[in-house]
Amino acid sequence: MLKYLLRRLALTIPTFLALTLVTFVAIRLVPGDPVEVRQGEHGIDPIRLAKLRHELGLDQSILHQYWDYLVQLAHGDFGTSIRTQTSVASEFFTLFPATLELALCAMLLAVIVGVPAGVFAAVKRGGPIDHGVMGISVIGYSMPIFWWGLLLIMLVSERWELTPISGRIDPIKYYFDPVTGFMLIDAWLSGQEGAVWDAAHHLILPAIVLGTIPLAVIARITRSSMLEVLSEDYVRTARAKGLSPFRVIGLHALRNALIPVVTSIGLQVGTLLAGAVLTETIFSWPGVGKWLIESINQRDYPALQGGIMLISCLVIMVNLFVDVLYGAINPRLRHGR
Amino acid sequence: MKSIVQTSVAALFAATLLVGAAEAKTLVYCSEGSPENFTPAMNTTGTSFDAARPVFDQLTEFVRGTTKVQPGLAESWDVTDGGKTITFHLRKGVKFHSGVNGFKPTRDFNADDVLFTFNRQWKDDHPYHKISGGKFDYFSDMDMPDSLVSVEKTDDYTVVMKLKAPNAPILANLAMDFMTVQSAEYADYLMKIGKPEQFDQIPVGTGPFQFVAYQKDAVIRYKAFDAYWGGRAKIDDLVYAITPDPTVRLAKLKRNECQVMAYPRPADLAEIKKDPNLNLMSQPGLNIAYWAFNVMKPPLDKKEVRQALIMAVDKSAIIKEVYEGAGTPAKNLIPPIMWGYNDKVADYVYDPAKAKELLDKAGVKTPIDIDLWWMPVQRPYNPNAKRIGELMQSDLAKIGVNATLKSFEWGEYRKRLQNGEHMTGLFGWTGDNGDPDNFFFLLGCTGDKPAGNNISKWCNAKFNDDMAKARELTDIAERTKLYEEMQQIAHDDAPQMTIAHSVVFEPVRKEVVDWKISPLGQHVFYGVDLK
Repeated sequence: MLKYLLRRLALTIPTFLALTLVTFVAIRLVPGDPVEVRQGEHGIDPIRLAKLRHELGLDQSILHQYWDYLVQLAHGDFGTSIRTQTSVASEFFTLFPATLELALCAMLLAVIVGVPAGVFAAVKRGGPIDHGVMGISVIGYSMPIFWWGLLLIMLVSERWELTPISGRIDPIKYYFDPVTGFMLIDAWLSGQEGAVWDAAHHLILPAIVLGTIPLAVIARITRSSMLEVLSEDYVRTARAKGLSPFRVIGLHALRNALIPVVTSIGLQVGTLLAGAVLTETIFSWPGVGKWLIESINQRDYPALQGGIMLISCLVIMVNLFVDVLYGAINPRLRHGR
Repeated sequence: MKSIVQTSVAALFAATLLVGAAEAKTLVYCSEGSPENFTPAMNTTGTSFDAARPVFDQLTEFVRGTTKVQPGLAESWDVTDGGKTITFHLRKGVKFHSGVNGFKPTRDFNADDVLFTFNRQWKDDHPYHKISGGKFDYFSDMDMPDSLVSVEKTDDYTVVMKLKAPNAPILANLAMDFMTVQSAEYADYLMKIGKPEQFDQIPVGTGPFQFVAYQKDAVIRYKAFDAYWGGRAKIDDLVYAITPDPTVRLAKLKRNECQVMAYPRPADLAEIKKDPNLNLMSQPGLNIAYWAFNVMKPPLDKKEVRQALIMAVDKSAIIKEVYEGAGTPAKNLIPPIMWGYNDKVADYVYDPAKAKELLDKAGVKTPIDIDLWWMPVQRPYNPNAKRIGELMQSDLAKIGVNATLKSFEWGEYRKRLQNGEHMTGLFGWTGDNGDPDNFFFLLGCTGDKPAGNNISKWCNAKFNDDMAKARELTDIAERTKLYEEMQQIAHDDAPQMTIAHSVVFEPVRKEVVDWKISPLGQHVFYGVDLK
């Protein structure tokens, strides 16, 4: 097991290096640099421009800059944001709990709704429920997040007044200093009456919007996995033994069908974080997605590189964890057979 | 035990807040973005200026809703030495906010704070110059280092500013956000405890609102400062709810989740007007969109050709189609809300036949080829430069002028325009300090060199002399006379076609009392009340 873990860990190093290169190059391919993008119609005096570029190290060759960046990363330093002049890591970890809270809720919703929907569709294969679930999941999967978010705001928040429009908590009624960065927990710690409910209320729409795509994926994978399992001999045997349909499906079939679903949940982490960029912008959710968008607009190289690296580390770690979990479950993988 | 005590204190605090909240007047402003920090001298965006403004004051300030300059932290000033020396008499008894970030001021505002404000931006060896990156763009952009000889105090309440040349507009510069006066004592305090970078993150000022907290990318909180020298603000708490999407901002405004919103989408204006709970306020913006002719490149060196191009373009069609009601046609470089505006100037009339005649008169044989540059970004004065370029292209074709549309990335575009690589190009300007000089310098002779802001590369001796004379005068009436003359010269010689001034819209809830749109694009909450 240890050997397997070490092998998997070693494999993350080239992935990590490739990522540093891609993020470093990609942001520099976007026209405009961090100094010039700050200037309006005034423009900037060429001497001053050269001075500021020098201070940021932008006058060095690209290779030199990349090497400096790698050395800096090797020291665990993600740099300082050009825009705010604060440490990238501290900005990231201030904002990350908001993204994580939203992503977890979205994933919870996707699993709670997606798995039963997939099971029902499989059990009622070919029937209206199956067609309905599959049709809705195709729509959910292909819906642009931005459009979906605004549509929900207009209908649910604005017209029916069922949920707040944006933000994480009502800023007039509730005020407390963040302790963990997770609003639900902080609201509970604050002891203010109604704060937890208000925070949860604010979470509903963004979680639905962010959870829609994973929900669609989970429902489809659960369905196809269940269909496969339902045709297995042991399920037929269980039925032949006279077990109730609930036990056959819930205990015998679903448990085995869930293996690919768990894998897909691991893979959805990337989708969730990508979706968070848009969801956070629509719902004024102060997470890393919104922060990254602003960093792109401002060509804040350190913030963008650092942010993407930190997110990538997270995705790599989750995938590593899933792989290890898989290795633990399936000895064939562990032994590389 | 400790946690029980903490929880009890927090609960008590929360309960106090809740009781208070029932009576307190809280105004929520749906702002469009997050501030970079709270030191305006280091920033260039309106978003960051807006976030710091409630906390601070300047030596001079703009009368709310206008570009007129009035005394601020400087109670009065004397201009002597032919305009080259300005002596500021500072206001006494002005308090700094107390208790923010553990700082308790031991003295009132005085000349040391003014010197700190100047020297931090000006002097490379100032202990705070390099803190937080040390970029003071506006101080450079407004030519402060080139204008100042010295800024010194003669006593705690008198500051003498010596200038290289008479410069009346500098009084307006001092009212701008970048000249926000900060506390030298707070700076020393943070330096002593080894946290100087907090100076730009946790602001302490003399302004009408005291900073309470900033939750990054989410909310900024302020409370009214009871000891404000101008009298306590009418609202008790001010909250900026950072809401980047304009559709969501409007939805929040309609639901009364905020009472004032920044920058509505033009497409939403009709809907806002119809809403009985909202009040849509509007005013021409302090800006100009223009089409510059590079007079160094033939045939644009001929006045008649430039006039012909102006007359060939249907300005009203541009206003209608591109600005969609959020723009007014411009006939001068400065907008009509600015003092010094010459309303007697008669704008060129759209007349393709006359334009063709003028081209003939100039000896230009059609068809001719020109390039027409359009900027790749949306600006406050120009919602869609490409579309304007296309409309112009089709108008110009009617008189035998083939315009090739061209663009570059924004930084590159600006640089090339300033270097004069274009034949004709769309550009514009947003006023910084409300002084007409801040617009007219765009056509000054010093800016016609490569990298200069005069992208027509036009240099008119009379225009330039008048501008220099106006800088020496402090009398508004005398300056107005010169500016009126300059507008006529610029109109007749046509180095540019002035296209439009945008109209600024600000929707507020009906409950908001005495909201005033700032021509400078500021959002000012002091003086505002809630019903």
